Amino acid sequence: MENQTAEVLVLGAGPGGYTAAFRAADLGKQVVLVDSGEALGGVCLNVGCIPSKALLHAAKVIAETREMSENGVSFGPPAIDLDRLRAWKDGVVGRLTGGLATLARQRKVSVIRGYGRFTSPNQLRVELAEGGEVLVGFGQAIIAAGSEAATLPFIPVSDPRVIDSTGALELGEVPRRLLVVGGGIIGLEMATVYHELGAQITVVELLDQLIPGVDRDVVAPLAKRVSRQYEKVFLRTSVAGVEPRPEGLVVSFDGAKAPATDTFDRILVAVGRRPNGALIDAERAGIDVDPAGFIPVNKQLRTNVPHIFAIGDVVGQPMLAHKAMHEAKVAAEVIAGKNSYFDVRAIPSVAYTDPEVAWAGVTENEAKAAGVAYGKGVFPWAASGRSLTLGRSEGMTKVLFDEATGRIIGCGIVGPSAGDLISEAVLAIEMGADAADIGLTIHPHPTLSETVAMAAEAFEGTITDLYLPRRP
Amino acid sequence: MATATEVSVPDLGDFADVPVIEIHVAPGDVVNNEDPLVTLESDKATMDIPSPGAGTVRELRIKVGDLVSRGSPILLLDTEGAAVEPPPLTDQQEPPVLDEGDLAAAEEPARRSAAAAETHAAVGGPPVTAVDSGPPADFDGVHASPGVRRLARELDLDLTTLSGTGPKGRITKDDVVGAVRGPADGAAATAPAAAAGAGIPEVPAQDFSKFGPVEVRPLTRIQRLSGPALHRSWLNVPHVTHDDEADITDLDAYRRELDTAAKAEGYRVTLLAFLMKASVSALREFPKFNSSLTPEKDALIYKGYYHLGVAVDTPEGLVVPVIRDVDRKGITELSRELGATSARVREGKLDPADLQGACFTISSLGGIGGTSFTPIVNAPEVAILGVVRSKMAPVWDGSAFVPRLMLPLSLSYDHRVIDGALAARFVRYLCQLLEDIRRLVL
Repeated sequence: MENQTAEVLVLGAGPGGYTAAFRAADLGKQVVLVDSGEALGGVCLNVGCIPSKALLHAAKVIAETREMSENGVSFGPPAIDLDRLRAWKDGVVGRLTGGLATLARQRKVSVIRGYGRFTSPNQLRVELAEGGEVLVGFGQAIIAAGSEAATLPFIPVSDPRVIDSTGALELGEVPRRLLVVGGGIIGLEMATVYHELGAQITVVELLDQLIPGVDRDVVAPLAKRVSRQYEKVFLRTSVAGVEPRPEGLVVSFDGAKAPATDTFDRILVAVGRRPNGALIDAERAGIDVDPAGFIPVNKQLRTNVPHIFAIGDVVGQPMLAHKAMHEAKVAAEVIAGKNSYFDVRAIPSVAYTDPEVAWAGVTENEAKAAGVAYGKGVFPWAASGRSLTLGRSEGMTKVLFDEATGRIIGCGIVGPSAGDLISEAVLAIEMGADAADIGLTIHPHPTLSETVAMAAEAFEGTITDLYLPRRP
Repeated sequence: MATATEVSVPDLGDFADVPVIEIHVAPGDVVNNEDPLVTLESDKATMDIPSPGAGTVRELRIKVGDLVSRGSPILLLDTEGAAVEPPPLTDQQEPPVLDEGDLAAAEEPARRSAAAAETHAAVGGPPVTAVDSGPPADFDGVHASPGVRRLARELDLDLTTLSGTGPKGRITKDDVVGAVRGPADGAAATAPAAAAGAGIPEVPAQDFSKFGPVEVRPLTRIQRLSGPALHRSWLNVPHVTHDDEADITDLDAYRRELDTAAKAEGYRVTLLAFLMKASVSALREFPKFNSSLTPEKDALIYKGYYHLGVAVDTPEGLVVPVIRDVDRKGITELSRELGATSARVREGKLDPADLQGACFTISSLGGIGGTSFTPIVNAPEVAILGVVRSKMAPVWDGSAFVPRLMLPLSLSYDHRVIDGALAARFVRYLCQLLEDIRRLVL
């Protein structure tokens, strides 16, 4: 391959990278997209969001058929063909990544497969996946190098029985006993899958609740369900060491309720993700990278080097594909001379667990910590006809409002499909809607989406589906 | 090593197919960065296209008279080093979004264009030193939807300085557009606009302060009221104006006699009183001129009264008081009433009733000058008579040229109601009345 030049170079083809490349191309730029993966799409499409959702769907089917037996519809125990399940999952991924390749071709975005590192402020050296290397000179660049699963020094990653999310999604086998280190979104999603596939799950979390950062009452229904389903859930507990033995991985714990040691067939390490800012020789381009590996940017996603931008996981939390995609458009538009700006009011987060947990905007914890005068409307799904007909009653929708203006400032939802319900709250936050706007908007009945309006009515005091003591 | 760069027309805003009116350089000329290369002329402005960098003109790609748009090639420039992208025009509609730092960035090789020939030279290009423009203001706490926030970014407008007119103080798209257009246009937007909803394109806003000092003065109350009414008439009535001349030599002599007598009694006798009497006679003879279209526009309403509007120029603007029952009043009485009404107009003491009920209007500029003009029909009236200054002219009487005092008349009429032949007859009849004083008095 000959050396290349690009008006705009995009490093990384995850959701942020491909969005940036496509947007820049659509704005008339000549774009070169560099990525080391076998297929476009980055972690999200290949070993993240998408394959995990395929497996979570399988888990949901298993759970629902089992639970329905109590209500008069019984199935036999599931016969799980891991190879076919894996092939289906890979097929979904392949279809999406193939679609991306087509989208790139249609836009004449040239794709280089290989690992890129900066050599100067205007040049990238790419170690080609096919062998050899190529230099890419560029006018402007967007770094979308993403993140990788964090590791723990005392857990031997060399042992094949120790896996990260990527390994878990490969679905090699279903262990008898699985230890999930980390009670965040990724760990709990994988726990959901492996639990339904038959593994006995133990979750260990360093902090005092699952999915730290979300309000405790929002996580509570999930915590209650998994503590019943899983073998053990240890909070305020850390893993002190792992000793690989032929019969299993002997794990020593440090926590009040955990045993001193226990033996597991596999360990899934899901203790967060580490940005890849330090892995691309950014310093040769003069780009600042902080000690954690993040690349600082301003709200136009510009790094300290004005013609180089960075987006997505590599610029900071939350490490979410949808955040990266929006940042991508801003960066591409700024490069194309538009005065775009990343000033969103809320970035939703979703755990696709069972039940799902979703939140956006200010949490109650944050509001308290910041001294914000807020009010809240809570609607328990036990009063939702739609939820009950799904065989579920533990969900809850909580919406937070500015006490003075009644304007929505945040929302937390737990229950089936919470991830789909949160969008309404995000739109309401962006539009500056207040409780009356949401409550007076007719929601179809019976749906789970009604619960957002009901929560707003509960705040307003106009709800009739619950009896709440009169507000003073 | 010198490389040739094609310089093309940068983003011109909304302009396209703009003619080249001047070329300032010829092949072999040495130009510096920002030197004007060519001048383009749109219907709104002339614009110099500056050189995007220093170099020597190798070849022209356009000639005077060519129509160009964004991206049209202008010339080939031999430059030292890398190709450059054109900097933005200095005469752009949009507010500038580039500052000096960005211009520096535009000139350095980082922004080489795809057309640049020396692609391989770019590999390992020199380090760049462009300056960050600095982030614009945060919109924290601003009540505006994402789309409005983006528009504000595009227009370089700080939303924190704006107060919204939407529900609960929400900043709307209109607020943003209004803020960018400036206070003059903002005020106009709130006035009742005749064109609103008519699908007529608005005249684009202009920032005149770019061209020199300006001052904004609000329209007078009369102008704010009369403007939309005139606009409404202009848009609704298919206008035709018919011109003729009346020989008023004898009439004027008679008028002077009366005026001399009147002066002693403290009023004046002007031509206007005669025009009013003549008009009423013409309206009687041609009743269509004393009609209005029904709202359904399928019938004419004929009026059995003769109230005439008289356009009066005041320092505050145009006012049209109505003199009632002109058919029942003589020249003397009309002259007295005109004098009194004019005084009340000047003192601003007119009642709304004084401005209502006209059948036909006369607009006289005779005291000022002119040869003809196109008065706007005061709908729902169907015609208006304009007169300008009379002048002495040689008129052939069959054997010789004789000096006669000629009065130009301009009748504008609603062509939906009146056709050209009828208008010509009406005006001719009017002229004959004015020419033959006896017929007028009868």
